[in-house]
Amino acid sequence: MLKTNQITPEEKQKAFTSIRKKEINEKQKLNVLYHIEDFNVKDRPQRFLEAFAAILKHSNYKMALDHFIRMSAKCSRCATTCQVYQATGDAKDIPCYRSELLLSVYRRHFTMGGLLKGRLSGGGYLTDEKIQEMAESFWNCTACRRCSLECPSGIDHGLITHLGRYILSEIGIAPRALVVSTREQLEGATKNTSAIPVPALKDTLEFLEDDMFEEKSVHIKFPIDVENTDYVFFPAVSDFLMEAETLMGIAAVFTATGDSWTTGTGYFDGINYGLFYSDRMLERVVKKIDAETKRLNGKNVLIGECGHASRSAKYFLPAYCGGKDAFPVINIMEYTYKIWKEGKIKLNPDVVSEKVAYHDPCNIARQRWIINQPREILKSFCNNYVEMTPNGDENICCGGGGGTVSIDEIRPYRTTVGGKLKADQIRKSGCEILVAPCANCKKQLRELVEDQGIDCQVVGLHDLIYKAIIFDDSQIIKKEDEPETLKKEN
Amino acid sequence: MELWLDAAKGPLFRLCFAIMILGLIRIFLLDIWGAYKAYRKAGDKTMPWKLIISRSIEWLFPVKRFGHNRPFYSVISILFHVGLLLVPLFLFAHVQLWRESLGFGWITLPYQWAFWLTLSTIFFALALFIGRLLNKSSSFISRNQDYLWPLILLIPFVTGFVCAHLSVNPQTYQTFMLVHVLSGDIIFVLIPFTKIAHCVLMPLSQVVCTIAWKFPPETDEAVCSTLNKKGAPV
Repeated sequence: MLKTNQITPEEKQKAFTSIRKKEINEKQKLNVLYHIEDFNVKDRPQRFLEAFAAILKHSNYKMALDHFIRMSAKCSRCATTCQVYQATGDAKDIPCYRSELLLSVYRRHFTMGGLLKGRLSGGGYLTDEKIQEMAESFWNCTACRRCSLECPSGIDHGLITHLGRYILSEIGIAPRALVVSTREQLEGATKNTSAIPVPALKDTLEFLEDDMFEEKSVHIKFPIDVENTDYVFFPAVSDFLMEAETLMGIAAVFTATGDSWTTGTGYFDGINYGLFYSDRMLERVVKKIDAETKRLNGKNVLIGECGHASRSAKYFLPAYCGGKDAFPVINIMEYTYKIWKEGKIKLNPDVVSEKVAYHDPCNIARQRWIINQPREILKSFCNNYVEMTPNGDENICCGGGGGTVSIDEIRPYRTTVGGKLKADQIRKSGCEILVAPCANCKKQLRELVEDQGIDCQVVGLHDLIYKAIIFDDSQIIKKEDEPETLKKEN
Repeated sequence: MELWLDAAKGPLFRLCFAIMILGLIRIFLLDIWGAYKAYRKAGDKTMPWKLIISRSIEWLFPVKRFGHNRPFYSVISILFHVGLLLVPLFLFAHVQLWRESLGFGWITLPYQWAFWLTLSTIFFALALFIGRLLNKSSSFISRNQDYLWPLILLIPFVTGFVCAHLSVNPQTYQTFMLVHVLSGDIIFVLIPFTKIAHCVLMPLSQVVCTIAWKFPPETDEAVCSTLNKKGAPV
């Protein structure tokens, strides 16, 4: 089993030095690493309990909490599997301890035994200090859910962290980075987390189309607002700004197959930070995807290379938008694998000679959804493919999971603590190219290799596919067939 | 002493055993009922049964997990559970008691097996206790019951071993037997109300966790309404 050493005191200092101002900490009665918008600090425990009660009333968490408090064995197996605990060695980072923070509140305030015990002892009330501890602890976790695999009792610590963050957000405690982005996505003018206006989106896509024509001599298109297509495409919107090659790879695949797809200008963001801090936001964002797919009369929801976007659409579109009648959700890797298996795309095995490894995004692999497909594709054209272990559903998180990657002020924490084990794993594999089919993982891994001084390039799966894809001769436009306008530009 | 022993083996045993069975049935049914209600509320009713079953089996028979992490602890814990289940259920003397009261019995452990399994369970219970005490992460998260359980479970095994395998005078035998039966009775009563409830709840864990992630539709509006947040900005 892969393990990492504890961080040094210097690294600890670096990782846990907060850039928040002291007066803000005092004003918000919180000492955490991430920024939070101002919120009402009065009667915080009472409001926490009210929010907890409301959520329990309208959700399915109660039966899980009842199950967990009845059988938690406190064996601490989860400790050895948690990459955060391995790095810090701080017992407060043991997943079971973190879960107990919320379970103890549930036991004390929402069970008959706890209420009786509280009456008799006159204590055990939720305090501001406990809320402080939860606000800190739940956001130190990368929500990778690897610990849940190692719990003999089957306790899903990731679920408890998810719920804890949700309750905290209802009293105003949530990372500002996530809240502001979600606000723009749901209520802003641009309707996406990166605040890209539609004209800028169109410009970007046109620019990419020109680029691709120059490189491949093929008219590769990004169809926009086309109705009745097979696939309505929702990438992590940040891809339009930062992952051009991933998008070009996806467009190239569709051009090779000729299947119909489109990006809608009504809504084009796959990112769903609700998954990380609030089920209410999760529901609202999922409904936007549903509405846009309906508007365009599409047949399937196609999610780009993004783990949490894929998981939130795949598992929560049916939850919030019609159960089995909801639009089928497909991740782009599933699509590409299918058409690759059918022989509809061919990949040149002489293009990528570097040592390549594949990183499983937690939100895609933990539930054993997509594990082997991208590996099969990569092995078919990357001659120097290496495997990192553990992998698949037991993969090691990039260290920026659970939305933490979007919180820039905690980068030192992410690359020193959260991603330490991943850094060791990358080093051990000796890979020169690390394929991470997830916008969040890519951002975190790039920062990780930079901060940890690892010489490794982080790309998406379709970045490499774009390099290696071989088009039919019929699709390649020879110089003499080029339109006059393009000839002049060239 | 004999009177006490008869009471402990007779009416007290029946009462404690009934409390255990009824208590376990209660929490098992509560779990099932909770999961069923949640499933009914869920918007997405598809269940990944293959994954649920495979992960449940992995933990019910955790051979695959031996080498994963804390291998030493894993092996001790599993062997402890083996003895803990086999000895009380299949010891010849225990089955004989059931045969006398119910009129039927079942297969029993050979004498040598019972001897070594009892000894190993005592040894592994002590190892688990010491391990919890010495392991930094385990001791940090441990509650009182986590320390007490291996010790409580030791009592019937040690006293049973003395009665079955050592030559002691009748007075000592009766004392040990009384402690043996009484500790067994107490354990029966405690099982449904403590973490040992995992003996019946564990097979449900994967189903419960899967359903917990199946969120009901329209919770946004419902939670907003309860918290008077309708129309509030994001």
